[in-house]
Amino acid sequence: MPERTFLEAIRSALIDEMTTDQRVFVLGQDVGVKGGVFLVTDGLYQQFGACRVIDMPIAEAGIVGAAIGAALHGLRPVAEIQFADYIQPAVDQIINEAAKLRYRSAGDWTCPIVVRAPFGSGIHGALYHSQSTEALFTSTPGLKVVIPATPYDAKGLLIAAIRDPDPVVFFEHKQLYRTMRGEVPDGCYTVPLGTAAVRRTGRQISLFTYGLMLHHSLTAAEQVADEGIDVEVVDLRTLYPLDRETILASVRNTSKALIVHEDNLTGGIGGEISALISEHAFEYLDAPVRRLASPDVPATAFNEALEAHFMLNADKIAHALRELAAY
Amino acid sequence: MSMQTDASLAPPPANDPALPRHRQLGLSDEQVLAALAGMQRVRNVDDRLWQLSRQGKAHFVITSAGHEAAQFGCAWAIRAGHDYSVPYYRDMALALALGQTSLDLLLHGMGKPTDPASGGRQMFGHFSSRALRIVSGSSSVGSHIVHAVGLALAFRITGEQDIAAITFFGEGATSEGAWHEGMTIAGVQQLPVVFVCENNGYAISVPAHREVPVRDVATKAAGYGMPGVIVDGTDIFAVYAAARTAMQRARSGEGPTLIECKLHRLRPHSNADDHSKYRPAAELTALAQHDPIDKLRDYAMQHGLLNVERWQAMQQQLKAEVDAATLAADQVPNPPLESLYDHLYGSAAEA
Ligand SMILES: Cc1ncc(C[n+]2csc(CCOP(=O)(O)OP(=O)(O)O)c2C)c(N)n1
Ligand SMILES: [Mg+2]
Repeated sequence: MPERTFLEAIRSALIDEMTTDQRVFVLGQDVGVKGGVFLVTDGLYQQFGACRVIDMPIAEAGIVGAAIGAALHGLRPVAEIQFADYIQPAVDQIINEAAKLRYRSAGDWTCPIVVRAPFGSGIHGALYHSQSTEALFTSTPGLKVVIPATPYDAKGLLIAAIRDPDPVVFFEHKQLYRTMRGEVPDGCYTVPLGTAAVRRTGRQISLFTYGLMLHHSLTAAEQVADEGIDVEVVDLRTLYPLDRETILASVRNTSKALIVHEDNLTGGIGGEISALISEHAFEYLDAPVRRLASPDVPATAFNEALEAHFMLNADKIAHALRELAAY
Repeated sequence: MSMQTDASLAPPPANDPALPRHRQLGLSDEQVLAALAGMQRVRNVDDRLWQLSRQGKAHFVITSAGHEAAQFGCAWAIRAGHDYSVPYYRDMALALALGQTSLDLLLHGMGKPTDPASGGRQMFGHFSSRALRIVSGSSSVGSHIVHAVGLALAFRITGEQDIAAITFFGEGATSEGAWHEGMTIAGVQQLPVVFVCENNGYAISVPAHREVPVRDVATKAAGYGMPGVIVDGTDIFAVYAAARTAMQRARSGEGPTLIECKLHRLRPHSNADDHSKYRPAAELTALAQHDPIDKLRDYAMQHGLLNVERWQAMQQQLKAEVDAATLAADQVPNPPLESLYDHLYGSAAEA
């Protein structure tokens, strides 16, 4: 199986799906000749032409709104928002329009669009090129929110998102783009939305996470394994709707739960998972559910010392695991 | 607290066509030379930031090269510390023209805690100073236009006269919903605000004809009930003339103006960009002809304000200045880590 970076996996999903399905097209800022600011769509313009790889003005509401319009006529738009930080101008279109079209028309209309956006810190992007904005969308019925962590999943989940009959917001951690490599098959395949993946089995603590944090969590789990702490690591993959069964089954086995995310502590998906566990697995717990997340400040700072302080890493996760194991 | 950068406070213009253009506009020789030095000073900081980015000491560079005349020309029409300026990331030259220093800009570029714009929090390009009334902005393109409009609304509410807000943006920003909302409110209320579009023909890689449906951004003004003016943004005098008129209109209650400065982005969008991928080779070669610093230097020489020796001395002095500022900025230590949590909310005492 060919090796691909996370970024190449996403590009390969777009190319394969656009080749297979003439209804699929890409629109966004700089996605054409430049191939996107991260080069995710590099070469697509040459391969599929200006009609299906569309450079758009700086108008996020327009980009998502136009995607919705095209979907109403049966097309399968994949809209790129240049940075997750700039999805905000499009929030009205995503939450009030895309998410509610099916429901408000009693199923007469549907809105099968994908909105892709790179997110996350650690590339010196400061306040406005670093945000984790997933929590804006994880309380909106009608939407699906997907965040892959591996190249294989990035391709399979993106194709599944394009084929999904409903709107999907698809966040890609920009630190994974070039650093993460893995086996990614040629051709189309899907990874089902709404299912988490157990990446490491363990008996003492369940660690729930997604995106870049999966990799730091796996490293941390190895670090503490030598100390006899046996951690199960669950990659959530879809944040909305959550795979409740996998989450509850894991914690019922281990009796302890740690949720790790780069998003802010308050209002992040960790709170929802914690509530889910207390409601449905309370009697299995041997310790309070713990959350490890980025501090409740607007986003990471430009200054590199502050940026490093802001970021979670394997050591911080290992520390939280040790504390929870000792409880 | 007005910092007298406003050239319109100088003796009234002598409209004698026999005079050199700066004289016709009421600008002194010294003012022209100061602007030339300032533009070169900014260019040196720009150069230095690219260098520092290759050394891993500045993580983000967004150039103002090519935009200096537009920004310095407007600055002549702004009373820093009195009128409000609401800039965007391309406006390093404006920040300097309004009173920030090379050191300020380098501290900002290197993310140091003493960065006056953001205390090392914002990426380079987010110029700010409350004392100079340069308003802090986000990176969200077009989102700041409405703040200038709100400032102008405030002047109306408080009944202040002889004050205006001026805001700056690229032609790409004129596609954003928030831009249209700001223009609409300003037009409906005929507010004391000036909109300056620095049209460099590109929004990162996307050429103007794919982002703006009309040839001239200035023609958009008609839809918002205000005049639109086109100027050569590499000609500091043309920009000043337009900005002065617009600011005077605003200050005297005659309403908003949209000024479009046509100019060229001489360098890639940022240090993360390679513009040879989307700009034709011939266009890149021709960029050298559109350098506003060369243009003003040539003007100064033609009119006897400057000679080669003086220009060389000036350049040497400016070079030493940027070296010293770089050294000073580099020596500033990182902030304490707990400062990450500062300035999230004010205290009750403040209210
Ligand atoms: C809301 C938003 N969308 C996208 C971006 C990414 N972005 C940064 S600069 C830029 C191009 C801006 O072009 P223009 O307004 O012409 O200004 P210029 O950079 O050419 O001076 C884009 C798309 C952003 N910063 N904010
Ligand atoms: Mg532009």
